[in-house]
Amino acid sequence: MIRFEKVSKTYPGQGHSALDNVSIDVEKGEFVFLVGASGSGKSTALRLVLREARPTEGRVYVAGKEINRLAGWKVPRLRRQIGTVFQDFRLLPNKTVTENVAFALQVIGKSRSEIVKVVPETLELVGLEGKGERMPDELSGGEQQRVAIARAFVNRPMILIADEPTGNLDPATSVGIMKLLDRINRTGTTVVMATHDHGVVDQMRKRVVELSAGQVVRDQAQGGYGFSH
Amino acid sequence: MRYTFTELGQGLRRNISMHLAVVLTLFVSLTLVGMGVLLNQQATKAADHWGSELQITVWLCKDRDQNAACVGEVTDAQKQAITDVVEENPEVAGYHFESKQEAFDKLKETYAPGKFDGPNSVITADDMPESLWIQLKDPEKYEGITSAVIGLDGVSGIRDMRDTLAPIYGAINALQWGALGTALFLVVAALLLVANTIRLAAFARRREIGIMRLVGASTIYITLPFLLEALVTAVLGVALAAGALAAFEKFGIQDRIQGELTFVPWIGWPEVQYAAVAIAILGPLLTLVPTLVLTRKYLKV
Repeated sequence: MIRFEKVSKTYPGQGHSALDNVSIDVEKGEFVFLVGASGSGKSTALRLVLREARPTEGRVYVAGKEINRLAGWKVPRLRRQIGTVFQDFRLLPNKTVTENVAFALQVIGKSRSEIVKVVPETLELVGLEGKGERMPDELSGGEQQRVAIARAFVNRPMILIADEPTGNLDPATSVGIMKLLDRINRTGTTVVMATHDHGVVDQMRKRVVELSAGQVVRDQAQGGYGFSH
Repeated sequence: MRYTFTELGQGLRRNISMHLAVVLTLFVSLTLVGMGVLLNQQATKAADHWGSELQITVWLCKDRDQNAACVGEVTDAQKQAITDVVEENPEVAGYHFESKQEAFDKLKETYAPGKFDGPNSVITADDMPESLWIQLKDPEKYEGITSAVIGLDGVSGIRDMRDTLAPIYGAINALQWGALGTALFLVVAALLLVANTIRLAAFARRREIGIMRLVGASTIYITLPFLLEALVTAVLGVALAAGALAAFEKFGIQDRIQGELTFVPWIGWPEVQYAAVAIAILGPLLTLVPTLVLTRKYLKV
């Protein structure tokens, strides 16, 4: 589903590489944690998958296509297959929960009838039934992140990318969010989650890819955050 | 689509002062451009008119002519020689011969009828010179015929109306270029205002734009509200400018100048329409082109 082939990325004006000869292969339906210290290259790896950036060397494949060769006008189509969730939720403060989720469908030209059908379903899936008319600032952090996940998932993407989704949440709330991501993963969606959160990683026992200074230092099935000896 | 129009309405309201600035600048600059176009057409119209009537008059010698070159009344042989030269000249479209009596009748008509009647009049038909009224093919080409005729025997002088008309054409030209030159500065101001408006709008919408890019909205979809905003301001600017030009035609020309200055045909509605079409093309270009360029820069996917 996602494949990095000897990918390096150097940002202009920086001596060291953000990613250095990284090769990762993520199968369809997998759940992968991307761990590592700040600046280890996690976010760069996610940006490459979204084609927000292009690798300096190597190739990035998403769903079998080499996306760094993708023409600019095809990039939106790529991104429709990828849902994205961030640490800071990035909700529109002047729209209700329903409107926030519907927005993602409106702007890619989905019909009104489809939006009316799919949005409540997705809100129910993420556990926000009955809260569609709330404004984001009336919700708790965990609920806001559920809205963000609903927005990322409402278009039923093949891949869900989560960049520190529990970074702003307390441990109890994080558990709920992880359960939700797990449920989404069980529908067949590939989930890649970058995180610092030891507790979450240790508890989930999923595949862990650890980056350090732009290199893969560990790729372990059913791993924990630290090395398990 | 619904989103696009909601977004358009919000965008217009959010930056109302900037949009007003753009509309007003466009209004004034397009009006000036339109005035330039109208003046240009007025000059063409006047030149066509005076040009079509532009005649070079060749005065022939009369008895006791003040011109020393004349040795006496022009003879029939001399007249024949002059008309031969005129007929052969390629610049000449046509000519007619004006007799002493015709000249005298014109004089009486222009001044006081009856003043020169009676047996003891100050001036009689005999005092008038005969003349040849030459019609040019191209009002710009007259040197050939004047130089060909001026030295001939029996020619007293040549009158060229262009001397009178030159300052009028000059004034129209100066006004035209003044209007277009001023418009140029305002057009630059309008472009800068449009650029600033887009920067503000892109900033105000950065959250929405970020999400749209993330969920895979197409570039056109993201750009469309900006283009529509640009189009709306352009349409308003063009409408105001076209209204100003129409008001100038109605209240300035038709209700005032046309009645008072009748020696020249004035521009009418077809010319105003032409100018309006010109600014209707220019106005949207002025807002859409910078919008396209800048949205590509700010909203790069």
